[in-house]
Amino acid sequence: MTLNRRDFLKVSAGTSGSLVFALALPGCSGIQTGYREEDGAWKPDAWLELTTDNKVYFTLARVEMGQGTYTGLTTLIAEELEVEPAAITPKFAPVASEYRNPLYKLQLTGGSTSIATSWMPLRQAGAEAREMLILAAARVWEVDHSECTAFEGHVRHPNGVDTLPYGKLVSLASSETVRHEVKLKPQSQWRYIGKARGRLDAGAKSTGTAEYGIDIELPGMVYAVVTRPPRYGARVKSFNGSDIQAMPGVLKVLEIERGVAIVAGKYWQARKAQQKLKVEWDNADALGLSTNDVFADYHKAADDDAGVRERDDGDFADAAAGAERVLEASYEQPYLAHATLEPMNATAWYRGDSMEVWAPTQAPDLGRIAAARVSDLSPDDITINTTFLGGGFGRRLTQDYIEEAAAVAYSVKTPVKVIWSREEDTRHDLYRPAMLHRMKASVSGGEVTGWHHQVVGPQILDWYVRNAAPAQYPWSPKFLYDTLGKVGLMAEGIATPKDISAIEGAIDYPYKVANVEVRHTHTDPGVPITWWRSVGYSHNGFAAETFMDELAHETGKDPYEFRRALIAHQPRHREVLDRVVAMSGWKAPAPSGRARGVALFQSFGTYVAQVVEASIENDGIHVHRVWCAVDCGQVVNPEIVRDQIEGGIIFGLTAALHGEITLQDGEVQQSNFHDYPLMRNYELPEIIVDIVDSDETPTGVGEPGVPPVIPALGNALFALTGERQRKLPLKAAASSL
Amino acid sequence: MALSLTVNGEKRTLEVDGDTPLLWVIRDELGLKGTKFGCGAGLCGACTVHLDGQPVRSCSTPVDLASGKSVTTIEGLASRGDLHPLQKAWVEHGVPQCGYCQSGQIMSAAYLLKHNPAAEREDIVAALSGNLCRCGTYSKIIAAVESVASGESVDREGA
Ligand code: FES
Ligand code: FES
Repeated sequence: MTLNRRDFLKVSAGTSGSLVFALALPGCSGIQTGYREEDGAWKPDAWLELTTDNKVYFTLARVEMGQGTYTGLTTLIAEELEVEPAAITPKFAPVASEYRNPLYKLQLTGGSTSIATSWMPLRQAGAEAREMLILAAARVWEVDHSECTAFEGHVRHPNGVDTLPYGKLVSLASSETVRHEVKLKPQSQWRYIGKARGRLDAGAKSTGTAEYGIDIELPGMVYAVVTRPPRYGARVKSFNGSDIQAMPGVLKVLEIERGVAIVAGKYWQARKAQQKLKVEWDNADALGLSTNDVFADYHKAADDDAGVRERDDGDFADAAAGAERVLEASYEQPYLAHATLEPMNATAWYRGDSMEVWAPTQAPDLGRIAAARVSDLSPDDITINTTFLGGGFGRRLTQDYIEEAAAVAYSVKTPVKVIWSREEDTRHDLYRPAMLHRMKASVSGGEVTGWHHQVVGPQILDWYVRNAAPAQYPWSPKFLYDTLGKVGLMAEGIATPKDISAIEGAIDYPYKVANVEVRHTHTDPGVPITWWRSVGYSHNGFAAETFMDELAHETGKDPYEFRRALIAHQPRHREVLDRVVAMSGWKAPAPSGRARGVALFQSFGTYVAQVVEASIENDGIHVHRVWCAVDCGQVVNPEIVRDQIEGGIIFGLTAALHGEITLQDGEVQQSNFHDYPLMRNYELPEIIVDIVDSDETPTGVGEPGVPPVIPALGNALFALTGERQRKLPLKAAASSL
Repeated sequence: MALSLTVNGEKRTLEVDGDTPLLWVIRDELGLKGTKFGCGAGLCGACTVHLDGQPVRSCSTPVDLASGKSVTTIEGLASRGDLHPLQKAWVEHGVPQCGYCQSGQIMSAAYLLKHNPAAEREDIVAALSGNLCRCGTYSKIIAAVESVASGESVDREGA
């Protein structure tokens, strides 16, 4: 296949996702459809496989990392296929162009897009297969197909009595052609969508039988651990390889691109040997800065460069010049780790002319590129087997852990599993970027006349493009990989969609203010970054919704009334805001010693309003209750929506209360859950979630719970103490800082 | 060195370094992958198993401390093919999200209910606060344990 310049890095709207990178070549299709005599299996399309023994397999192209695709997407196809979701066996998808996420043109699970992008295609696939089965049955019975119906894996005769199970029809159905228009079921006939309860993977995950990446076991498998430079960008100068080689169980010690790998027969032998490993690093290109430098540099950059104007309604400068008052505030937010409970790991097996990889990954097609880079193979020779993911949150969109396993496998030529320790996972993460926000508002006659938001910090695409660009052109020669990455970046905003990861949630400021200006000062300290559950929305949400609270206070208005007056023109925002206020009893005072804060924020197409009730007791912040109203359009599984929103709230509170990665002379200071704590059971607030009934297209729920809870808590603490905290994480005693 | 221990009711003899954490012995030598590695430092609870009936963090328990003792893992919680009441409650309540922490959560809860079958919310929270869940399934975990504590009896456990 040749590259067509016009198609190269083609534009695709960034819509609601935070992963805006999208190129638009139709990849080479690899999925064989049709009927296979040998095993009596019919594949009507890339997703479904029905067998003569009445089994239904569904290829799940969006990975299951806790967010519920395993259940949600299966429900979509089940609804139209007329098979109970529990009777369908989901299988994780291999890499194939059919399974690409249409928003990114990559096989990615991220950006809270799985339900939204699968909503039509999966239901259509289910409906078409159902129609073919009906046509086949009609032919057997010699009746009009339009009088036959499908139900629970059977086709029913027009007489209402006779039935044929799908298994008996698969071979016939495979040669049917649907010539009539296939209609999707009207909402009134849905049996599973909006009604389904429970999760299809709950059994496996409650008995220890669900297989995660770390659980892969292969014949003759060995283990490897990798020592990476404490300072990002350092290179190996020398190491005591022969000492290590002599240690019990050690099979090989080798330098790879990312550090020094020790391969041993058992995991613990590799770990013990690692303790004796001494590496001298060449720090010439290594990161050397500390957290204070990051923010000092951000402030300097913000002073020196007003940044690119990303939104400009009216004329803020003019409004400010004529205003009674101009209020200003700046907000600082730290680097954050993902801390998936399953640490990074991957298993690879190089067989000379092919390689197989098993990994918990959010982007298997990028994983192939990562493995191709470090071996003599091309992506087509590499198979990626995706497992259950023990958490993702954006971390597993980057394939560094697959690259390591592939590099070691290429050298040892036996199956090898690389497992990261928690310390390694924390210190060698790619972080949610630290960001600075400078806010200004002009106020006259008690009204806000202008809003100015300057976002200061890096863009994620700069880091992500390395494997993402080649993954869209898997047939391109490897020496072009880095060029593709560079071209991808040069074309950004011209030939490719803009990376809005830094400004998402800032440019879409929803309130009715006449003069709105949003700018981005692009500056990158060189600390590795990537997507993180709600990324840009997470930091922009804190800045925007805290500053809104400051403005309410400055203009002497109730924080709800203040927002309500400025959002009256946005019905879906208004509805969730009104609901959360009603649910929380906002208008009545909080119980004594406690205070409440509110925030309203849209992300990934979903509208969320939250009220947080908090107190300070024994020098600690106590979050008592969180009320949340959410509008995510049509709901496929109400229970999973609730779980995701609740999980997002806990994720956000964890960041607000505990989350901070700091650097000292280029080294990450945190290592494990004692110094990078996650919210624990005893800190859990009561969480009350209300979902708006809606017929709108479904939108994401994995991430939108996160952003508003951080400012809502900060706003509650302000109401409690009268002190405004403009830096995260929040502290119990702001003034003592 | 050779050591033997009883795992889920079965006596096993192994050739393994005595300082190897019990976790890696269970996972890699005995092939029981339900017990998870989360932190290796006793901070997350993902590796919780019962050692002679006591909950321990297997990542921080050298295998020679388990020598001659009886270990119960998540795989040994069900008896004669019948799920433990907590496992049933987990499915019924749809507790797991990514699911990675859940073996450890269930093992901690099973110990609690064995010794305090009518555990109240505070007991549950206290007993489970050593088990992290990054996905935030805490409220469902509590609800599932409460449902067992208040209703069905917990009378079966290997350890
Ligand atoms: S892995 Fe043992 S407590 Fe975390
Ligand atoms: S369900 Fe994912 S860590 Fe608990």
